[in-house]
Amino acid sequence: MKKLLIVEDEDALALLYKEELERDGYAVTSAGDAEKALTLLREEAFDLVVTDIRMPGRDGVELITQIMALRRDIPIIINTAFQSYKDDFMTWAADAYVVKSSSLDELKAKIHEILIR
Amino acid sequence: MIETYRFLAPDFQKEEPKELALLSIIAQSFFQPFTTEDNLLVILTALTCGSGIGFNRALLFRTDGDCLRGELWLGPESAEEARLIWEVLSTPGIGYVEIIDHNRSLLKRGGGSLSERARGLSYFLSAEIPLLPALSAIKREVTHVREAGQEPLVDPGFLEILGVEEFVCVPLFARDEVLGVIVVDNAITRKPISAKDIQLASLCGLIAGNYIYASTLNKKMLDLERMAALGEMTVFMTHQLRNPVTAIGGFTDQLLHSPPDESRTRRNLEIIRREIRRLENVLYKLAHFLQADMRRPQPFDLAAVLSGVLEAPDLRVRSESYELSLAIDEGLPPVLGDAVSVGEAVRNLLDNAFDATPAGGRIEVRGRRDKGAGVVLEVRDSGAGLTSEVRSNLFKPFFSTKNRGLGLGLLYVKRVLEACGGWVEAESSEPGAGTLFRLHFRSAPEGRIEG
Repeated sequence: MKKLLIVEDEDALALLYKEELERDGYAVTSAGDAEKALTLLREEAFDLVVTDIRMPGRDGVELITQIMALRRDIPIIINTAFQSYKDDFMTWAADAYVVKSSSLDELKAKIHEILIR
Repeated sequence: MIETYRFLAPDFQKEEPKELALLSIIAQSFFQPFTTEDNLLVILTALTCGSGIGFNRALLFRTDGDCLRGELWLGPESAEEARLIWEVLSTPGIGYVEIIDHNRSLLKRGGGSLSERARGLSYFLSAEIPLLPALSAIKREVTHVREAGQEPLVDPGFLEILGVEEFVCVPLFARDEVLGVIVVDNAITRKPISAKDIQLASLCGLIAGNYIYASTLNKKMLDLERMAALGEMTVFMTHQLRNPVTAIGGFTDQLLHSPPDESRTRRNLEIIRREIRRLENVLYKLAHFLQADMRRPQPFDLAAVLSGVLEAPDLRVRSESYELSLAIDEGLPPVLGDAVSVGEAVRNLLDNAFDATPAGGRIEVRGRRDKGAGVVLEVRDSGAGLTSEVRSNLFKPFFSTKNRGLGLGLLYVKRVLEACGGWVEAESSEPGAGTLFRLHFRSAPEGRIEG
């Protein structure tokens, strides 16, 4: 079973992603901020990280930088409310960029696509 | 010995030389909160009024892309009207403000007035054989025309509308830009135009050109600022709306697609309900911010407003986990403002103080006399204080350190205070030492408190 780490500070959304992705057969762990995500990443081996950008404390761009320093091979998907971060070149380091939407189809498709590569 | 003078003479004397009168009229108008059109009108006034240069008429063209378009035309239609106008303008003690008013009313007159005719005029700047008045703009030359009827370089249509044989075209330009042309003549008195008058008209042209240039730049800058603010607002609203909408949509889809299960259904509906409340809250705050009541300031009792704010049930519940102290000096004079908006502003500050302070921390509200005549209200929290980044963005719209903040709270406080002649300042001397907000109010002149 593939293990996903979801970094999302909105409780309702974290719950939604967890339930929906578990239904699709993934093992899902969620972290409410970048600090917690980094701790989890040091302890466990995840197959993929989905992260928001705008979060209290360290933001998603910083998190990506840290993850890359920690484990270069782990694929990262940015899942955010903002279209505009697409232009931030730091986000190019991510494997995919998904704008949050009430339909999770795009997010699910990207996760699938990256994991079967 | 020291003598002081008013910055500029309020009216101009007959014996003043023309140059001084001219500069005086223009310089004074630039001190007024006039619109660009009004200020251009002042320049035309300086060209035409008796105490200025004293041309009979002045016609202003401005460039609009590739075209020279008529915009304003100031002057009398007939000798009879000229007599009336010049009588008004030569009334002893008349100031430039009166002259502007008079000229404004002259321009507003409909029914084939000069300015109406001016607005129908346009000449191509890139015509194959450019004729006056466009030629003057293209060559950037002040052009004095006599016996215009025999001059092939004068546009015949223009000449017909002008109806005089002698006139001067003054080009308006700044840097590399051609901005327009002013045409002056003595259509009523038929007085010949002197070399000195042309010199002075050129001076007016230089000022007008630079003035138009500066005000265009200013407008461009304002547009850019507005666009930037709009951009920030869009980014912010996107975040504020997209998250709840994503949750609502996602949990609704779960209900629609999964087999019904009572506890799951209930939980999803509760989440949906909560997220909808959140959206409503965003809408409420936005509407509230936009509709903030900034009526004429009235005297009110700050202590009464404060106790009203502190009695709000939700605030009382919240304050239970803090050490909240309130100290209002006895006998404070009534202050000026809109009591309801000030109450909201204080509420915003208190909410911020609660958000910034860890539970159990101290929050102080204090009212005292200001140095001088006013009253100060201080709200001090014992939170983390302000970083320099937060500090410099404190009153910027849509800037918030809170995940669910709209970034309008402190801007609202600022607006409320400024609307009643006061101001707000923030102090946060060192990190960790909390933040102090000071609201400075003007006190009301002695009198009764309304409402």
